[in-house]
Formats: sequence, C-alpha cells, structure tokens
Amino acid sequence: MAAYKRQFYPGTTSPAKNRRRVMDPKVKLKKLRDVSMDDVVRIMGHRNPGEDYKSIHPPIQEGKEPDCPIRKLVEPIEGAKKGDRIRYIQFTDSVYFAPISPYQRAWMYLSRYRGIDTGTLSGRQIIEVRERDLEKLAKEMIDNETFDPALTGIRGATVHGHACRLDENGMMFDAWQRYIWDKNKKEVVYVKDQVAVPLDRKISVGKPASMADLKKRTTIFRADGVDMRDDKEVTAYGLRIHKLRTLGGFQPFNVKDV
Amino acid sequence: MLSEPTVEYAGIPLPEVEIFSHALLSAETTEKVLNALDPIENIRQINMTGESLSKNLNSGPAKGLPNNHSERKVIKVGGRDVELRYQVGAFYIELDVENEEKLNEAVEKIRAACAASMPRGFDLAVGRYSKYRKTLRDYK
Repeated sequence: MAAYKRQFYPGTTSPAKNRRRVMDPKVKLKKLRDVSMDDVVRIMGHRNPGEDYKSIHPPIQEGKEPDCPIRKLVEPIEGAKKGDRIRYIQFTDSVYFAPISPYQRAWMYLSRYRGIDTGTLSGRQIIEVRERDLEKLAKEMIDNETFDPALTGIRGATVHGHACRLDENGMMFDAWQRYIWDKNKKEVVYVKDQVAVPLDRKISVGKPASMADLKKRTTIFRADGVDMRDDKEVTAYGLRIHKLRTLGGFQPFNVKDV
Repeated sequence: MLSEPTVEYAGIPLPEVEIFSHALLSAETTEKVLNALDPIENIRQINMTGESLSKNLNSGPAKGLPNNHSERKVIKVGGRDVELRYQVGAFYIELDVENEEKLNEAVEKIRAACAASMPRGFDLAVGRYSKYRKTLRDYK
C-alpha cells in the first residue's frame, strides 16, 4: 500500500490554492516586512523588552514530573521546558480581501505549529502559546504574507471592525485606533499595544498591499472576487460534508455513496 | 435609554434621503458633506449613523484611559459646533416638500453636494427609514 500523502484543501481557484499554501507546513511563507522582535513584544504588551520571562512552574528538567508514558513520548516546546506563562496574540482579519481569514488561520496554526491553543471567532483568531514560543510565532505572523498592515489588526479586546466598511485610507475600522495612517510615509503605524495601552514610541508595520494584489493573495471566497460556487470541487466538498453531517445526525443508515 | 427626538416628529411620513457612503468617513469629510448640505432648502433634519467611537477605553487593562481617536472631535457645521461620536457611514436627510417636483429638485441638489464632497462614492435612495410619530415607547 502506498504511503498516505497528506492533502489540505480541494479546488482549482486562487483562494483554494492559497488555502493549500498556507496550510502546507512544507511551504515557507513569504516574508514581506521585518518588525523587530522588541517591537513585536511591545505590541503584544505582555512583558517589557529585555525583561525576564515569568514562570508558572519550575523547569521540567528539574525532574518533578509524574511518571507518565505520554510525557515521555512528547517532546515539550521550549517555553514549556522553562515553565513560561501562557500568553496570547489575537488577529482581526477584514472581510475585504484580507490575506487570510480566521478559520484558515486555525487550520494554518494547527498544521504548522506544536503546543498551541487557538480559538476561532467570526472576525478574529486568538492563539495561546507559552510566552517565548508565542513571541517567535507572532513575529513570523506579523512579518509574513498572511499579514496586511491595513486589513489585519492586532487586537486583544474591542476587535469590532472586520465586517465594517473600510475608511477613506482603505484601513479597517478600529474603535480604539491602535494603528494610524501615516500620510507622509504612506505607512501604517502602531501607536497603542493590542489592548490599547499607549506605546512609548510609534512602530511602523509598513505599507499596505494594493487591492489588486490582495485579491490574488487572499484565501477568502467572495461574490465580488472569486465565488465559491465557481469552484466545482470546493462546492462538492462542502456539500458532501453537509450531507454527511446531516444524515449522520438522524438517518445514519442512509449514508451511502457519499 | 429613551430620549426625546432632537427634532419633533413631523406626524406624517415625509420623504427621507439615505446617503450610504462606500467608505467610513473621516471627521473632515463629514464636516465637508454637512456644510455642502447646509444651504439646501427643504431639509428638515439630518441624522447620521456609523461606527461608535467611545470617549474613553471601556474595557481591558487600559480601561478609563482617553481613547484619543482622531475622528472623534467637534466639527463646525454652518457656524455651529457638532460633536461627532461616530465614524460616520450614512446620512438620513428628512425633506419637508409638498410635491414630487420639489422632492426631485432637492434630491438632485443633495446628490450634487455629496458627489462633490465624497470622493470614495455613495449610494442614494429615497424612502422612509425612521419613525415619524410617537409610538408606545415614547410614553414610557
């Protein structure tokens, strides 16, 4: 028997291909900007740059772990070894062709990282990890192609805005205005951290991408972009799951040839 | 909380013009639109809606700190101060007109005023979008 080859997502249209790309851990996502690690730490606001990591339990190496076969089997991530606190970062993705949407974020995180806990909501996606691993992950996520300065927000609370119309500069609405549009540089600049505590200095996250570029890069199916119904395979996959779930719920004996 | 309407109910369903912007407007553009609408005759009242902007942060570790949102400010309309508490996305303009002809005339003036001050575009529709007489809730 041939070895099972992992599959990610059906379809031939560009959002379907982009979904496969972000989910496949073998694909290295493009790095579009370089926000320094200290600035990432500042934006998240869990600790000050340079400060020690607080811990919630002694390092695992001290050997106070109970005798457990699973613990022997699973290699702990760096933060777990050191006993770090679990902290979070939360992204809000606009429905107006943001590079990725929350649901695919969950697929991507779970497919690419270990030791994480992620939660999906309609417009935002939280990810909880041990602190030092979170910082690495957050930097990757801010630097790579799944982040757009204007259409992706780093918001711990009051995330409202993903389904609002964009403003005159093409930015997603934020009631707390954590980031502003720098008219002169044509860049997006963070002035508050993810829970709106003012930052000591402004942090630039670069220029937003053009709408034409975003339409090519997005994983979002939209009636005014690529309609999901135009992709036969994706539609069939959705319908199949729908049918299996429905029949499985009340007439499992009728699940045949699905 | 219920409060008295700022302009008394007309009692009859006068036509309303809905201006639905394609982008959320900055305070500056809102000021421009309102000042462009100000000289138009037959306008009985203008109501605005949009996304609410709080004065202070209302939750989280920074609770109580001022929000300092650049679009939450006092604008000047026809010489009077208007405090913006929203990032405006739509205008509802009630017109006091007697006939179709006057209505069309006013609508065209409104369309021209908006086209000049809203470069990101808008949709215009005529209808009735809010109540025009007291209902049970007004007698609480």
